[in-house]
Amino acid sequence: MKQALEIVQGYQGPTLRIMEVCGTHTHEIFRKGIRKVLPETIELISGPGCPVCVTPVDFIDEAILLATEHGCTICTFGDLVRVPGTRQSLASMRAQGADVRIVYSPMDALAYAKENPEKQVVFLSVGFETTIPACCLTVWQAKQEKVDNYSLLTANKTMPQAYRAMKDACELFLYPGHVHAITGTKICEQMKEEGISGVVAGFTTKELITALAVAVTRFQQGKPFFENCYPRIVKPEGNPAAVHLIHQVMEPCDALWRGIGEMKDSGMRLRSEYAAWDARLKYNLPKVEGKPNPVCRCGQVLQGQCKPTDCPVFGRGCTPEHPIGACMVSDEGACSAFYLYGGAL
Amino acid sequence: MCVGISAKVLKVNQGTALVDASGAKREISSLFLEDLEPGDYVMVHAGTAIAKIDGNDIEETDQLMESLR
Ligand code: SF4
Repeated sequence: MKQALEIVQGYQGPTLRIMEVCGTHTHEIFRKGIRKVLPETIELISGPGCPVCVTPVDFIDEAILLATEHGCTICTFGDLVRVPGTRQSLASMRAQGADVRIVYSPMDALAYAKENPEKQVVFLSVGFETTIPACCLTVWQAKQEKVDNYSLLTANKTMPQAYRAMKDACELFLYPGHVHAITGTKICEQMKEEGISGVVAGFTTKELITALAVAVTRFQQGKPFFENCYPRIVKPEGNPAAVHLIHQVMEPCDALWRGIGEMKDSGMRLRSEYAAWDARLKYNLPKVEGKPNPVCRCGQVLQGQCKPTDCPVFGRGCTPEHPIGACMVSDEGACSAFYLYGGAL
Repeated sequence: MCVGISAKVLKVNQGTALVDASGAKREISSLFLEDLEPGDYVMVHAGTAIAKIDGNDIEETDQLMESLR
C-alpha cells in the first residue's frame, strides 16, 4: 500500500477532481480517513450515488398517500423513513398510526405480504442497479405465486445517464463497484470512447488507495482510460442472470432525481405485464408534485457544485437527528458523511 | 440501504442459500448465481447474492500495482 500511497501523494499536476459516485464510497473514504492523506492537488467530489438522496420529495408524498388514504402497509429500507416529504416524513406518519415497517430486503416485504393476506403491502422500491434485481425478483415471484396483496412503488434509478450528466464536474470517476458487478463494464468502456475516464473501485482502504493510484497514474498519461480495479467482484459481463430478470420485469423511463431534475431514461418502472403489482396504477395515484425545503442545497451537493459545509443550515438547522434534506438522512449521504466524519463536530 | 456485505455460503438450497456474514447467519436469494457451493464467498445486496468473490483484496491490489510498473 505504501507504493500506492506514494503515487497518490506525489501527484503534482493541475487539480484533479475525482467524483466518487457511490454513497458507500463517500462514507468509507471518510471513515478510513482517506481524505486526510490526499494532497491538495486531488479533490474528491461526492456524486449522486446515494439512492435515498436522489429520491424526490414526490415519492415520499406518494408513499404517505398510500399509507393514509389507502390504508396500505408500507415496507421500506430504514433510511427512507426519516426523509422529509413536503409536509411530513414516513416516521412522523408512523407516530400518527400509519403502518410503516422497516425491512432488510424486498424479499422480507414479500414474505410479510404472504403471511398477512388481509393487508395490502407496498414496498418502496428505490435504489440503483445493485438493488433493482432484488426488487424485480419479488414482483416476478409474486406473479408466479399469484400474490395479489403486494406491490412496488418504484423510484429506481440507473447510473449511465448520471455519469454523463456529471461528467463536467470532474476529471474522472471512481465508479461504484457493486453497480458494475451487475451491469458489467461495457458502459465504462463506452464512456472511455466518449472521452470520460474512470476506474471501478472496491471498498477496503487498500482497494481505494490502489484505485486512486491507478487513476492518478493513468490520468498523467494523458489519454481517456478505464481500469477495473475490483475484478474479484466485477466481471466484464456483470451478472447476466440479474440483468436478464431486470429487463423481463422492468423497462427504462425518464426519472426525476431530487435536486438535479429529470434525466431521460435514467429510471426503471415495471413493464405493463406487471401492472397489477405497480402501486401507482393499482391505487390510481394522482400526479403528486412535492415541494422540497427551499433552503436545502442537496441538488448542488449531489452534482459536486458545492460542499455540504457550504449549505447555510448544515450542522445548525440540519443534522442527522433533524434532517432538512435527504443527504443528511441516509448513511450514504454526503451531508451526513461530512457531519459525522468531517469538520462539523 | 445500498451497502454490500460479503458472506460465506454455508448451505445451498433451491434458489436460496444460508450464509454467514461476520457471524450473522441469514437466508438469502441465490437465484442470480449458478453453481454456488458451500465455502464460496459472495457479495450480498438487499438480501440477494449479486456476485461471487474470487480471491482477496490483498492479492488483487498487489497485482494492480504490479501492472503500473
Ligand atoms: S445540510 Fe441539510 S439542508 Fe443543507 S444540503 Fe445538506 S441535507 Fe440539504
